[in-house]
Amino acid sequence: MLAVPAGCALLQGCAPSPVSPTTHYYAEIARSKNASAKETILVCMPETPQTMEVWSGLRDELAKNYNLVALRVEDRAARSVIEEGIRRHHPASIVLMNNPTVAAYNDYQRNASNKAFPPVVVVMTSFLDAGRLTVSGATGISYEVPLITVVTNLRKLIDRPIDRIGVIHRPELAGFVQRQAALAAREQIGVVRETVGSSPNASELKRALRRLKERAGAVWVLNDDHLLSPKLIAEAWLPGLNERPWSPTIVGAASLVSPLQSFGTFAVLPDHAALGAQAASLVFDIADNGWTLPSDAQTQLPVSTTTTLDLAQVRERFALRNDALRQVDRVLDR
Amino acid sequence: MTDGGSLSRTAVMGAALGLSLLASSTSQAAAPKLLVYLHVSLKQRAFQGLLQTALPGVDVTAVGRISDFDRAMSESPDAVLTLPLVLSAKNLRVQLQGQRSGSGEEKYALVAADSAPDPAAVKVVGALDVLGRDGTSQFVNRMLGATPKVERVTKVEDLLPLLQMQRVDAILIPQRLLSDVKSASRINLVQRELPKQIGLPAVASLGSAGPNISAGISKLPLNLSQTMGVDAWH
Repeated sequence: MLAVPAGCALLQGCAPSPVSPTTHYYAEIARSKNASAKETILVCMPETPQTMEVWSGLRDELAKNYNLVALRVEDRAARSVIEEGIRRHHPASIVLMNNPTVAAYNDYQRNASNKAFPPVVVVMTSFLDAGRLTVSGATGISYEVPLITVVTNLRKLIDRPIDRIGVIHRPELAGFVQRQAALAAREQIGVVRETVGSSPNASELKRALRRLKERAGAVWVLNDDHLLSPKLIAEAWLPGLNERPWSPTIVGAASLVSPLQSFGTFAVLPDHAALGAQAASLVFDIADNGWTLPSDAQTQLPVSTTTTLDLAQVRERFALRNDALRQVDRVLDR
Repeated sequence: MTDGGSLSRTAVMGAALGLSLLASSTSQAAAPKLLVYLHVSLKQRAFQGLLQTALPGVDVTAVGRISDFDRAMSESPDAVLTLPLVLSAKNLRVQLQGQRSGSGEEKYALVAADSAPDPAAVKVVGALDVLGRDGTSQFVNRMLGATPKVERVTKVEDLLPLLQMQRVDAILIPQRLLSDVKSASRINLVQRELPKQIGLPAVASLGSAGPNISAGISKLPLNLSQTMGVDAWH
């Protein structure tokens, strides 16, 4: 697609200007046109393999009924790109993918002269829940796989009872962990918590990990950047997890499962295409409600997941159930 | 060179051309293709691998989403293995029918936490997405004799989270898959058996290699057929 500076909607008559670091180019990544459709859904997103999978899930569900436009949004300063997309397509609803895109849309809402906005569905943002939805007229799906799903998956794989899960968290995520624990209780999962400081050092984290491993049957690692810096991984997580007693460790990022470094035993991630389909379901709910957000709309948890297993680590430290490998999407080995 | 030499060059060139044409036609004789669209209690990757091993010489593609099925259908498979209700929706005829205990149909159950659900009273039902949004909703409505909101999933393993997160009042599931769901959960899952039965997996032959593929499927190892809820093929 032709990329056009977003502050310059028409090529003709547009004075050439030097490209500056703050210039954002309007570019549509993909489109799905439906000749009989009246409404357009604008999907604002960076272009990554994961977002394209979410896009495919959205498109497969919505293209029979609506036009869809995937608009490239690269960072939180791309307000003008979003503004141009809305001006061109007058979307009935908007889907926003990831934190910088939401920030850019927030910026757009704050600066828009017309304060009537289409309803929004937010996906792929960190620790999303109703309290953190800063965009008005929005609902969405959290990007973190809930603990109840994580442990259900773990129990299908590991041949020993898993009743208590340990988690290390900063005070800022206490509420999130508490909500996860409440949900996990439905599957008789107990949660053991170790709280570290807002900016913990390696020693503090390593001590917390050692205490946790004594009290819990497995360790759940949150996708908290403050606890997953390269220094903390190298000086706390890896040494702590690679000493006895062995604890199955569940992570939320594929990069943390590798037979070369023995961090995550397995990763549970949202299934991105299914996430797109789940987001499409929210769009259908909005459409059925006359293109307004239903009054009972709540942020949802992702339903569908994919799992990646470090077989080398498992072979060395744990016993798998008989049919475990048929329940895993990706198996990594040395 | 003399004429003899020219003839020799021509003969060599002709032979080379003939060989390349033969190689080309040989490589174009691609393996017969089987498209499988079934929801089973193992990953599609693993299911496809088992089928591939059991059907040597057949190019097997197993999918779990209706959109992937529709896309794969455009690649002209020689045979399709799926539920009869999917075949019917695509105007395809059943040539080989799976059976279990002598019947070509199976029972479905409505399953909820702690007490057997009332099909007439459930407001939101989770179901495997067999036929897309509209088709699956119609299927659920027929099964229940009611019109609840339908939350669709594309994998058997995704039904349990709908109950765990209380996104639905109940899930609709083939009865034979209930034990797999129950074994993954400590929630007290209670079923209500539904009166209407649904056809077991079946095969439609689309291309010239279809009958051979059907013959192969009819001889699948019993434990593999049983992953599809089948113990015999007729």
